[in-house]
Amino acid sequence: MQLNRPERIRTAVTACTAALLGTSANASAQAGKVDSSLLIYSEVNRVQAAEGVVDFKKTVNERRSYGLRLVLDALTGASPNGATPSTHVQTFTGASGSTGYTAPANEIPLDDTFTDKRLALDGTLVESLDRVTVVNAGGHFSIEHDYSSVGLSGGVSRDFNRRNTTLSLRGSYNHDTVSPIGGAPAPFGTMPPPTNNGGEGDGEGEGEGGGSGPGEGKNVGDVAVGLSQVIDRETIFQFDYSYGRSSGYLNDPYKLLSLVQNESDAEPGEPLAYLYESRPDARSRQSLFSEVRRYIAGGTVDVSYRYYWDDWGIRSNTVDFLSHLPIRGGRALEPHVRWYRQSAADFYTRYLVDGASIPSYASADARLAGFDAWTAGLKLSFTMNEFDVLSVGAEYYTQLGERGPPAIGILQNYDLFPKLDVFMLRVGFTHGF
Amino acid sequence: MKTIIRVMLLVSIVAAAALLGACSTVGVEVWERDIMAKTEMQPDYNSVDRALDDHIYFSKEASSGGRGLGGGGCGCN
Repeated sequence: MQLNRPERIRTAVTACTAALLGTSANASAQAGKVDSSLLIYSEVNRVQAAEGVVDFKKTVNERRSYGLRLVLDALTGASPNGATPSTHVQTFTGASGSTGYTAPANEIPLDDTFTDKRLALDGTLVESLDRVTVVNAGGHFSIEHDYSSVGLSGGVSRDFNRRNTTLSLRGSYNHDTVSPIGGAPAPFGTMPPPTNNGGEGDGEGEGEGGGSGPGEGKNVGDVAVGLSQVIDRETIFQFDYSYGRSSGYLNDPYKLLSLVQNESDAEPGEPLAYLYESRPDARSRQSLFSEVRRYIAGGTVDVSYRYYWDDWGIRSNTVDFLSHLPIRGGRALEPHVRWYRQSAADFYTRYLVDGASIPSYASADARLAGFDAWTAGLKLSFTMNEFDVLSVGAEYYTQLGERGPPAIGILQNYDLFPKLDVFMLRVGFTHGF
Repeated sequence: MKTIIRVMLLVSIVAAAALLGACSTVGVEVWERDIMAKTEMQPDYNSVDRALDDHIYFSKEASSGGRGLGGGGCGCN
């Protein structure tokens, strides 16, 4: 593109001003940017997914910019349904109630009728009120076969101390509607037997006939306060506190609990029935997040720590390390390591025992169990020219469950935590204009 | 529970105010912002990758929030 003289001068002045004010010279000199990414997600023997993102940002003038983000994902495969293994083949009713699926003997039962697609659209408008105050407002919409969400978000940030300190306040509210196939099951309701012989892979899962049940609502509100501080020429520090509250239908309608025989029954640990889970109808979440980003010897290092707690009894610690290491010819390597540990929810239990009193709430969802998780990844990026960056990355994620209390009867013979191994491949392309 | 939340909020506000006071003595001058202006030093650097990561962790773990705002918006959890 051939710029005429006034435009060249204006571009140069904009770049210099942006550098002085501490924003990206490139980002400010360019009127916009498109970030796109494709993620291939593959769980060993379980869910397979593909997710595409297109993120568009445009600067309208020196005071206003907007962004749009489109996310499309599709997934299929098997997911643990919460039931315990058995020495016998187990048959479960599919979500629609008309078909079933079976789990082989001695294996953690997986619901292999799981399939879904999701479309999410987010929009944000950012406006500078004055030199140091920025406000933003956004909207969110997403839809799946059995789930939809609409939301609003907003925030304000203000710079202090020669623009070395930024305080921010953010908030969001989402109203989600869950429409389980066949309707929302009653808490601790017994799973009915399949109405035909079922069989594996009939394919009527989340993906087909979605939304046939009545909708259940869920409201999710979040607020966060943040402090960003430039420490020195190479170091910036970030601190955030966030509080969120969810209320309404918080169950996973497809998760089960095995009601197993007790020690005095004929086959201790073998299932007698499958019950639907029961979770509280409200949840308060809080987190403290801190991050240090530092420029070291031509590269950057980003280390963050998060402590999370909620009133379901879950506590978690997350440490994340990401580095950007330029190598020759506009290329850069980005190693990423993450460690995560969570404690189990108060009402998490792997199974219920026949004859024992049923608690108010119980879930065998592995995501509410105590476990450790590791992520390790490497990304390679190529700066092709002034406007275009291509990146290719691979990551591995694994979850390792806690060895719970001694199990009953035959269940002592199994590792009851469904171990998860995931391989991810992603390709990204950024174009500035 | 509400008392705990109020105490947490109060502590956060006091801590933020204290940090803000302390912060007035650190930082850089306008002409020292060359490194801060680099793309990889920006707060929204890698935001698409981070969003993809957060979506995965939200669907596989019980925690949410931290860098961004917390939950909702996806039937995956």
